[in-house]
Amino acid sequence: MTHGPMILTRREFGKLLAAAPLAAGAAQQQRPLYSINGVGIGLETFSFHDLPPSGDARLIPTIISNMKAIGIGECEIMSGHIEPWPTSATGWWVQSRRAPGFQQLREDARKWRLSVPMSYYTNIRKQFEDAGLRIYLYNVNFNETFTDEERDKTFEAAKALGAAGFSSSTVISEARRLVPFVERHKMFVAMHNHNNLVDPDQFATPQSFETALAMSPYFKATLDIGHFVAGNNDPVAFIKKHHDRTVNIHVRDRKRNNGPNRPFGQGDTPIPEVLRLIRDEKYPIRCYLEYEYGSFKSSVDEVKACLDYCRRVLS
Amino acid sequence: MSGLLPPRAFLAVVAVFASAAFGSAQAPRSKADAGGFPAPTPELERGRAVYVLSSCHFCHGVDLTGAQMGATDLMHSPLIAADQNGNFIGPVVRAGKPNLQTAMPSYPDLTAQEIADLAAYVHYLRRQGRYRELTMDADEQGDARAGEAYFNANCATCHSRSGDLAGVASKYGTALRSRILRPGDDLAPAGTDPTSAGRIQHGKLLERYAAADVRNVISFLREAAR
Repeated sequence: MTHGPMILTRREFGKLLAAAPLAAGAAQQQRPLYSINGVGIGLETFSFHDLPPSGDARLIPTIISNMKAIGIGECEIMSGHIEPWPTSATGWWVQSRRAPGFQQLREDARKWRLSVPMSYYTNIRKQFEDAGLRIYLYNVNFNETFTDEERDKTFEAAKALGAAGFSSSTVISEARRLVPFVERHKMFVAMHNHNNLVDPDQFATPQSFETALAMSPYFKATLDIGHFVAGNNDPVAFIKKHHDRTVNIHVRDRKRNNGPNRPFGQGDTPIPEVLRLIRDEKYPIRCYLEYEYGSFKSSVDEVKACLDYCRRVLS
Repeated sequence: MSGLLPPRAFLAVVAVFASAAFGSAQAPRSKADAGGFPAPTPELERGRAVYVLSSCHFCHGVDLTGAQMGATDLMHSPLIAADQNGNFIGPVVRAGKPNLQTAMPSYPDLTAQEIADLAAYVHYLRRQGRYRELTMDADEQGDARAGEAYFNANCATCHSRSGDLAGVASKYGTALRSRILRPGDDLAPAGTDPTSAGRIQHGKLLERYAAADVRNVISFLREAAR
């Protein structure tokens, strides 16, 4: 059965919201706004590589207009697209922490997080809702440079955005610190993997996910199937084993052996097998497109091409 | 939303737009696409194709200025400065950096020609960027003795302050800095005649100058005019 392609009108979306108050628990139960043969499709806003810089007033309207142009209603939005700071300013990349001026920038970002009113986030949420769109996941890369107060405020921010939970490119040592926060806020954090197989603190292997999943029922997985394959892992086997703890997948196509990103269908990632598994088993796993291969075309055009590929393999 | 920007973030945003405006004021260029502006020669355009289609620009920036994802700042990387025709760039690109936090992918399938094209384009971008940076350096206070030492080590093989460069400071005045950085068209063909060889050498120096080196050499040359 095909639920889409369709985007809810503003009025329909308002009714949906009225019927389902966006407490974190309720938000988690929301049906995807767009689906192909029962498979919920969204996108990671990292896919938009040609956006105005963090903090620019045009940034959120551009994301919204891009999503509407593509026809996808739901997103996982990066903190660098919400906050007036690029993600590097909040400590995620260890290499970036060595940059001159990082400490001051990090302190400024912390002060901003602790002082910004929640209306800042609800205003952004309203812009999405007015357009019939939804922020389903807030992508915050928790790391050791966060203070506890900052972690608490970040959970409050996610609730104000209407997000069901977080997706996070974090590390196992930070996951340990996050346990009391997910339990207190009753909000999940879905761990996102890359393919660094050298550092055992990174999420890259089935074992690294399983270590975190054992820490709390509020820990879930955002399985990036392209990175997983680049690390020579099997996403089909992972999803069969952990479908009940996998919130969403990032759909991208990479070559094995740390190979490059490729246009969908040209890498080693078994995208058709994964999407069909989710469709046939009716797993409630959202599939979020992530465009990162090279192109001279606009991000919107390439995300549309990624979506067309998914339509073909799910038809 | 911009009203909520802290001063530093606001300045960063202003700098981005100022930089874009400055860059576009340098020379009229063809229309940009998602991989930046077209390169000025077919050879460099081939390199741009490798750079963009390998998605290097997502982490290193379309003009090397936007290092993201913890990527190396290629504009100031010593490895790029030392590279000759891809001899350092090639092995890194082919092998990737799997130990980085978000792992730079490997590109083992790139041919020798593609690596050479890629390296030429990266050096071209770097020279453009370094020229912009160094011409925007407003500090005029140099150390003539340090400039003399730099000159003797790097310039004296081809130049002499009292010979071919006699009177150069008064001749060029405030344009002396830009003449030192880019004495001629840096797209000159890579011939073996002295002029072409000199321009190739100046291109390499442009990629390696520290801001203080330029200030010091200017002070050294101006000292002779006093």
